[in-house]
Amino acid sequence: MALPQELFYTKSHEWVSFDNGIATIGITDFAQHQLSDLTFVELPDNGTTVSSGQEVAVVESVKAAADVYAPISGEIVDINNSLEDDPEIVNRDAFGEGWIFKINVSNESEFDELMDADSYQEICPES
Amino acid sequence: MDSYAVIFKKPIDYSEALQYQYRLLNARQNDEIPDMVVLLQHKPVITIGNRGRKNYLLKNLDEYKELGIDIHHVERGGDVTFHGPGQWVLYPIMKLGKKNVDSHGYLFNLEEISIRVLDDFGIKGYRKKNKSGAWTDCGKIAAIGFRLKKWVTFHGMSFNVLDRLYGFETIVPCGLENDKITCLERLIGYDDYMMEKVGNRILHHFANVCDRPLKYFFDDNHIPEFIKKLKPPLN
Repeated sequence: MALPQELFYTKSHEWVSFDNGIATIGITDFAQHQLSDLTFVELPDNGTTVSSGQEVAVVESVKAAADVYAPISGEIVDINNSLEDDPEIVNRDAFGEGWIFKINVSNESEFDELMDADSYQEICPES
Repeated sequence: MDSYAVIFKKPIDYSEALQYQYRLLNARQNDEIPDMVVLLQHKPVITIGNRGRKNYLLKNLDEYKELGIDIHHVERGGDVTFHGPGQWVLYPIMKLGKKNVDSHGYLFNLEEISIRVLDDFGIKGYRKKNKSGAWTDCGKIAAIGFRLKKWVTFHGMSFNVLDRLYGFETIVPCGLENDKITCLERLIGYDDYMMEKVGNRILHHFANVCDRPLKYFFDDNHIPEFIKKLKPPLN
């Protein structure tokens, strides 16, 4: 699957899109593929303040569990509740409908720490 | 850089091995050590994964105590399983994403290792749809449950070698109420060197399947200092 060029990426395989001060975060296609079909997503609470690098969510398949980290600091302002009923949305559409949470970004300069698609591609094989 | 395999010959207490895994995990996240794989046997223990349900335990805590079986809740994927002497446990502590083979999916690769080991001994192993692990016509032989933190793997896979599976009779393994558990000894008969042979084949196939050429270290000697200090106490 081609990596969306407009997104930003982290070493821990999250993707980030940015719109009007709000960052939307999910896991990459590579990441969902490592876990196989998801059975559960542990979502954070709205209103939680998180700092960059903090564990925020957990994605689980039948045999695996992985932490999802906040790529940037801020307040959680939205979570993808539909993942509670149908976690496999992440497998089907990791970069779209499978987003996990949104952060009201407190420090935009942290965006400099994120990678663009080309840099992410270098640390991640094609899947 | 080569990856390191550390092999323990004597069974290790589950909590000690878990502490060891955490130390390696932390060191791997910080790039202080290369990708590693630990091969060991546990003292008898039942572990319950994230989604594990207690009603899969068929005995009460006193009865488990009497049988000499410890019980641990662990933050890996997967359900309830048993570990004990005669079963190899493989704990890869590696950063996923650096190698092309990682794109096959880590679960797929772990299963592949077991299937190739079975093939070495003339047994046909296979995957089952919607059930992880490695299977034979006589039942499930390898179980998988892992966790990723910052995309470094820990926990992993167990492979039943000798016919000492009594612990499985006290649980509903992995929630599989109608599936049998088996081991290599039941399939091809006993051999004095069976554990050693299977251990070697597991590491051999791990190196190939995961594309991580291995340098071997044994519990009692030659472990590099920086890994030694992470090591669990040996009995």
